[in-house]
Amino acid sequence: MELTPSEQDRLLIFTAAQLAQSRRARGVKLNVPEATALIAHAVIEAARDGASHAQALIAGQNAVAESELLPGVGPLLSGIAVEGVFDDGRRLVVVDFSSTDAHVPGEVTRLEVAAQVSDAATVDIVVRNESTIGISVTTHMHFFEVNPRLSFNRSAAFGMRLHIPAGEHVDFPPGTDVSVQLEPIGGNRVLIGFAGLVDGPLDAPGAKEQALAKAREWGYLDSGQS
Amino acid sequence: MTPDELRDAQQDIAVHGARKGDFVRLGDTDLVIRVEGDDREIGNELQIGFGKNARDGIGMRSVRSSESCDVVITNVLVIDALLGIRVTSIGIRNGRISAIGRAGNPDTMDNVDVIVGSGSVIIPGEGLIATAGGIDTHVHAMTPRVCDSALSSGVTTVIAQEFGSFWGVGISSSWALQQGHNMFAHWPLNVGILGRAAGSTRDPLLEGLEGGVCGFKIHEDTGAHPRTIDTTLTFADEYDVAIALHTDGLNEMSSVADTLNVIGDRAVHAFHVEGCGGGHAPDVLTMAGRNNILASSTNPTLAYGINAADEHVAMIISAHGMNPELPSDVEIAHRRVRQATMAAENRLHDMGVIPVTSSDALGMGRADDTWRKTFAMASMFADASILDGSVAPDDVVVSNERVLRHVAKITINPALVHGLSHEVGAIKVGLLADIVLWPYASFASKPNMVIKGGLPAYGVVGDPGATVSNAQPLVIGPQFGAYGASAQELGVHFSNGISQVTVAGRRSVPVQNTRTVRGSDMVRHGILGEVQVDPTGHTVTFNDQIVSSEAITHSPLTRTFLI
Repeated sequence: MELTPSEQDRLLIFTAAQLAQSRRARGVKLNVPEATALIAHAVIEAARDGASHAQALIAGQNAVAESELLPGVGPLLSGIAVEGVFDDGRRLVVVDFSSTDAHVPGEVTRLEVAAQVSDAATVDIVVRNESTIGISVTTHMHFFEVNPRLSFNRSAAFGMRLHIPAGEHVDFPPGTDVSVQLEPIGGNRVLIGFAGLVDGPLDAPGAKEQALAKAREWGYLDSGQS
Repeated sequence: MTPDELRDAQQDIAVHGARKGDFVRLGDTDLVIRVEGDDREIGNELQIGFGKNARDGIGMRSVRSSESCDVVITNVLVIDALLGIRVTSIGIRNGRISAIGRAGNPDTMDNVDVIVGSGSVIIPGEGLIATAGGIDTHVHAMTPRVCDSALSSGVTTVIAQEFGSFWGVGISSSWALQQGHNMFAHWPLNVGILGRAAGSTRDPLLEGLEGGVCGFKIHEDTGAHPRTIDTTLTFADEYDVAIALHTDGLNEMSSVADTLNVIGDRAVHAFHVEGCGGGHAPDVLTMAGRNNILASSTNPTLAYGINAADEHVAMIISAHGMNPELPSDVEIAHRRVRQATMAAENRLHDMGVIPVTSSDALGMGRADDTWRKTFAMASMFADASILDGSVAPDDVVVSNERVLRHVAKITINPALVHGLSHEVGAIKVGLLADIVLWPYASFASKPNMVIKGGLPAYGVVGDPGATVSNAQPLVIGPQFGAYGASAQELGVHFSNGISQVTVAGRRSVPVQNTRTVRGSDMVRHGILGEVQVDPTGHTVTFNDQIVSSEAITHSPLTRTFLI
């Protein structure tokens, strides 16, 4: 058979699924490893039968029913990743079982609304993407140094970042005006790297003027220029 | 909350995990904790990945790791007996915890405690719980695979009594000990070996000490005689090593009062103090609650269940070289099994009287079950937390103290008892970065990652040929830290102050303060008092009050997760 490590792993899924199948046949309610094995097995076998990726996904989603599971198992059957050998090659399928079980092991309950993003002083600016492709900017990027093809008041954006939760971003579609709120960068306010427009303390004497001059020289669009 | 607020909250929890004030159910137990603190600033959380802020100049400072850290575990819910229950980040440098608090780049973020460098490894901890690595002080290493079993369950320190498959209950041959240290260096695990304290004279003890033991085991199978106990404790006081004691279950030469009398006020670690693991029958449990007797339990009697008594007779016969065909063997085995002392033992744990849990792996316990059993036991006594909004958040009854007490039993307290707390036992700056990451859903049952000396050594691994690292079949197995010279380097060898034993690549660390440690030092325990067992073994009291518990029919952390 000349089985690879990956193929040998698939036999482990098969064994677990057979065990789970025999338990289910006896009317035993399934636990997390048992149900997971049946879902992964269903995907692999659907792929082997010639199913499409979409069909294999459905086979995985329907491999077990909530009524066949122990309480608390359904909510844990999410993000089950498995690779099947489809007719066009090996493909990754990620199955999320849709559960309505109110028992959720590890559940987090929030009874009070958490504090919001800081209400730091913000400035509003309008940004226009003058390029032909979309540009996205993330929360903590020094807005002053973003893509030269974004036209906005660069001076107002010096030392500022987007006023949105960490990890999110704002999209700037081509040829469109987008309003954003900026807030001051925190900490020591020392920016090393980025596009190289500052590369030092934001609040040093002359730092802003030098950075603006450099931006002009390097062709950064700036709607704030007189 | 309005439906919009609820949706926002669910999304926020999915991205950032629990925050201060949130309630978290641990696995499928009845234990609900409330997050006491959060070192993050809302809106300024450090995150790694596509479109996130852990980038050069933003969340990461362009400096060497000597000015930042080698590894940082970010935004993780720490449950630590010393630190409490809070969301924080853990910086690691040269295998030790170097900083704890808010992670990021102080050039762009306020109040950063853990400086993240442009080259720092980031292990995202959102949605995960971090505990110190478990410490199992009672392991019969009857097969090498016991080390894998321990690591797979979140145990990073093992005090072993042999390297079988032979029943050692301590090894004192210095030649054999050298081989043992060489063998254990194969795993990314801290290992100490107990010498056998079966000698009435000092010579065998001295040989064990020279062979690099971290303590000694007195066991009735090889002689727990009064003279042995006295010789061993006198010797231990001289050399600062821990003494584990499995007392005379036959009461052949002494009763429990005589054993206590010989011990005097010297420190002793009383193994499986309930007694079905061995020791004075039926009343060895009376050793618990005394300041110099550091008592522990082994895991089969924890989360006292309806089948606990039934499994034990055969277990005793099999583990202790007895013969089921021999009526006298069967009779003394039966004498060790008492439901009342099991029921009392579990309650004494909840009260804070018994400070340590352990496995007794392959010698009447399960190497990979101590976290699970410790928290299944904690769940037995948990009060229901009402989280449907009918009770104001600050009035919800939660299990924080109970959970921290039970974490102490498998981390800091065994470290204190065996003199390891200068290296391991807590999430604390300066200690080895032995840290277990658990999903909220399978806390104490199945870890996601076992970090040993700062690097992933064990954890969830999947199909090695897949496009992603989490493709089925997921198993809990070795990670890179378990391979090559790193396995040797990431673990330490616990020894004693005079040992010259060396193993290439592995650091040897003497144990400390094993003779001065007392019950009152036990973290979130230290409840002292008089335990009494009536001569029939049917009633147990603590300070004259009956202590007991109901046997459970269903154990959490078990059926849901084990195939």
